[in-house]
Amino acid sequence: MSGAEQGDAFDAITVYNFCEKISEQTIHFHVMKMNGGFFLWVGASPTLSNLAVSMISKFDSVPLSMLLMGDKSETAPNALAQRLAKKTNKQVFVSYNLPMVNTNLALQVEDRIKKEMGNHPEHF
Amino acid sequence: MSTTMIKTRQTEKEINGVRTQVICTEFSNYIFIVLTQYGKIGTLVSVTPESKSSDVCMPMFTTKVLMGKDEPLTHVCAKNLATCVSQEAGNRPVLIGLALKDSSIEAVKLMRDLIKSCQVW
Repeated sequence: MSGAEQGDAFDAITVYNFCEKISEQTIHFHVMKMNGGFFLWVGASPTLSNLAVSMISKFDSVPLSMLLMGDKSETAPNALAQRLAKKTNKQVFVSYNLPMVNTNLALQVEDRIKKEMGNHPEHF
Repeated sequence: MSTTMIKTRQTEKEINGVRTQVICTEFSNYIFIVLTQYGKIGTLVSVTPESKSSDVCMPMFTTKVLMGKDEPLTHVCAKNLATCVSQEAGNRPVLIGLALKDSSIEAVKLMRDLIKSCQVW
């Protein structure tokens, strides 16, 4: 995954933002689309508290995933990255900056992301 | 609905004939920079100042490769490119993604200027 990997044609990285009011708070989404994958940040305040990366593998039906930054006991960033990697077949970076105890919120957030992916696939 | 909560700026330029893109994003606890000649994040490095105090002397920086090729040149490039960003951003840590075809010293100098032109801090 290093920069030395042979790349395809250069596709410039593009940035896309959207937000949604979920459970009475405005959740912000920030997407950076890159060659073969995307970076997705989710949060209600502008912090970067964790970062997970995930990609599909031909050896396992569950996408490979790793937490690059943040508290290792939190599973939400990895879980979200894995599900998005599976859905898109791309390399996915996720930073999830919302209370992890609220699984209902996490589900709503994930649905909102999937809805945006359906409506604007060109941004992911 | 769009949002302006995450401040981001991007630009691109040819450096020694190679198309180079920079995207800078400001978070309250990090500055996130992607510097790419491949259109992807590449090697991800965190550059953290040793102490928060803005001493007269240069603060020390710790570099850690979070993903990708962990070789000395990666650390050198990351430190060279991110040190001055961190200082200008009030000693905030910098997360930098490097996907470079050309990491010669001349190219890195020009990249530093390119990053500066995308100042979000």
